[in-house]
Amino acid sequence: MRASKISMLMAALAVWAGQAIAQPSQPLYSADGLYNLANSYARAGKPGLAVLSYERAALLAPDDPDINANLAYVRASAHLSMKPRSRFARLVQTMSPTLVAWLGVLGIALVGMGLVARRVASRFLWISGGAILLGVALIALTASNAILLWPRMHEAVVLIDQTPARVSPAPMGDTAFVLREAESVTMTAEHEDFMLIRTGGGLSGWVARANLGAVVPPVGGEH
Amino acid sequence: MRWIKVIIASLCLLAPAEYAMAQGLDALAYETIEPSRIKLGESATLRVTSFGRLKDVALPTIPGLVFEAIGRSPGFDFVNGTIIPATFILIRVTPQFAGVFSIPGLTPASRSIGLEVVKGDEPNPYTWRSQQPAPAPMPTASLPKGVQLQAGGAAFVHLAIPARPIYVGESVPVEIDVGLRPGIVTSVNGLPTLKGSDFTFNNLSKQPERREEAIEGGAFVVLTWHSALAAVKPGDFSLSAETPLTVKMSTLSTADRAVASRLAWPLLQSMYNGVAPKDMTIESSPSKLKVLPLPTEGQPENFSGAIGDFQVSSDISPASVSAGEPLTLRLHISGAGNFDRVDSTMFDHLDHWKTYPAKSSFTPSDAVGNEGEKVFEQPLIAAQPGEQSIPGLEFSYFNPNTRRYERAQTPPIKVTIAASLASGSLNALIGAQNLNGVPATGSPQGLRPDHRPPENLVSELRPLYFRVPFLAIPTTLALLLAGSWFAMRPNAARANLKAAERALAQLGAAARAGDSSSFFEAARKTLLQTFAARWQMSADQITVAELKARLGTAGEDVERLFAIADEARFSDNQPGDTDFPRWLSLIRGQLAGERE
Repeated sequence: MRASKISMLMAALAVWAGQAIAQPSQPLYSADGLYNLANSYARAGKPGLAVLSYERAALLAPDDPDINANLAYVRASAHLSMKPRSRFARLVQTMSPTLVAWLGVLGIALVGMGLVARRVASRFLWISGGAILLGVALIALTASNAILLWPRMHEAVVLIDQTPARVSPAPMGDTAFVLREAESVTMTAEHEDFMLIRTGGGLSGWVARANLGAVVPPVGGEH
Repeated sequence: MRWIKVIIASLCLLAPAEYAMAQGLDALAYETIEPSRIKLGESATLRVTSFGRLKDVALPTIPGLVFEAIGRSPGFDFVNGTIIPATFILIRVTPQFAGVFSIPGLTPASRSIGLEVVKGDEPNPYTWRSQQPAPAPMPTASLPKGVQLQAGGAAFVHLAIPARPIYVGESVPVEIDVGLRPGIVTSVNGLPTLKGSDFTFNNLSKQPERREEAIEGGAFVVLTWHSALAAVKPGDFSLSAETPLTVKMSTLSTADRAVASRLAWPLLQSMYNGVAPKDMTIESSPSKLKVLPLPTEGQPENFSGAIGDFQVSSDISPASVSAGEPLTLRLHISGAGNFDRVDSTMFDHLDHWKTYPAKSSFTPSDAVGNEGEKVFEQPLIAAQPGEQSIPGLEFSYFNPNTRRYERAQTPPIKVTIAASLASGSLNALIGAQNLNGVPATGSPQGLRPDHRPPENLVSELRPLYFRVPFLAIPTTLALLLAGSWFAMRPNAARANLKAAERALAQLGAAARAGDSSSFFEAARKTLLQTFAARWQMSADQITVAELKARLGTAGEDVERLFAIADEARFSDNQPGDTDFPRWLSLIRGQLAGERE
């Protein structure tokens, strides 16, 4: 009786979570679609939009060689350096974040079931121990993937060449430095129509929101 | 006999009336002249149409006109939609000078008719009334060879097929001519069809060509359908075409018509008027056609069944693109033959190019699609920049004229693929970095080509583990498993029972082996653990006094067991008292007390 109630509760939660994940009924993105779009922008001579689309495509398919090659190519064409990923980062990001997320759920399930099994049975401890170890490894993989991707949640690409970064969030504010098109920056704060950004070189300034494209657009709106 | 007399008397009474009617019928005649306006040097035809026994007419004498009897012929005339037998007397009228002439009626009841004769260079005085050009005279033709008039001379069907042998699968144009006499043939009730199941009859034109011809002295409307014929198997065949019609036919028999003619038929018209529309199907004369199989010798591997006479050419546009951008390679195949068997397999050998499915379009240049041009468009994408060559395309077909397989090949096409997206600045960048000794990042190969259209779409770019709804799943799972872990406490009694059973088994094994040292040592350890768990104290804290105080008299036996165990442990002597069953019974009793 108790087990049936628990299983019903879990089923209801799974249904709710599935509906919540798939809430927007209009699918918008795909790795191939973003890649093709980026190629179109690249051919049209718009490296900012091209890099933005490549970055978004790489979020969905981080191990796609075409995406990474064309992203590097466009960045090089725009005279922008690109930090090579470490071996660990490449290893962790061989799988798509979606798959990694579900592997993390599987890891939690393995660890939990292994601990429960060890609690109720004293035999075949090596099986429960192996399940716990595998689960911990999967959770570690998911956590590493999330940690590596977390900065990109706040990353943006400069869409307009010679975009001024101002010392204050005002259109008439003094220009601290100038950003090149397709340059990647980190968004750290926002104020009205301005975003406080930090460049890879450590410079900070306020940039008009319209000149930036967020790699991960907010839900329900582009850029 | 009496009836015979009555009939003879009736006929005698009718004879004067018949005679009077016959005399009167000579007056049932009229005259027409065509054309009524001619140029000097031309002739007009004066036709006298008589519905009676008019045998001849007297030619008039008019200055400036020469009359010449051409002939006399029986026929039919339409009066108020009814076909009536008539006699036609034709007279040629040739003017000698220009002017307007009046020709008096040649029979007593007919009226005079007019004829206008103009000079050859004189403009047409009626052009101001009508801008329509004068209708062309009806061309004269003869029936095709082997064709016979059917439906009482009102229609014919002719199937025109090639005289030469054809090959299996070859598409050859055919024509079906259906000749109709207007007025007699009232309708065509369907498209012509081919008799015979060994052929396919394709692309029959929905609207036939129409022309008017004078055939064997009568005006015919000839309808011509075009189609393409293909044989499905070799052999000698006989082909014919048929078409359904509705024809106005007289229902009178030959004998009835003869009687009517003798009895002055207008009198008996009401009795014998049996003209009625009749549906019928007329069929062409059978035509022989020989169908040959395709030769197997010399058949190319890439032969797809195309039979005909074809020419091929190719072009590409644009001639210069950037890497990753699409090109369109067009293959033009023109000529005559079965274009439905011309496919795009010639594009199968475009290695080193990314291709997409080819499209084709056909533009016919005849009514049945046997001649025309088929164009294949093959999208191509080059991944590598530089001077590239598209290999020549080869197309194989069987030419029925030369009776052998032929190959048509297009020449290779040179294409210049440029590096895309500011490749000049990229190369400059790479060169500068190389000069500085730093390896260049990025590929100098250009953009990689597009992917296929996406299939799996997602609604959000944010990874799942950063979305709150998804995080509910692992959180809930973790909570459930943690709750299960806390809910499922280990059962101490069950664990102790299992430990006791294991200890008793170990003691029994030692007893059976006669190993008293191991037996007593294990017995002491088991009992100490049992007492420690039962009394909630450490095993080291259990003393002799504690045993006596808690166990009473049984404590003495336990004390003795511990003493024997100590003796066995600290000396090499074997214990003297080896009554294992008794000690086992004691230990079981103590463990059972624990279980209770």
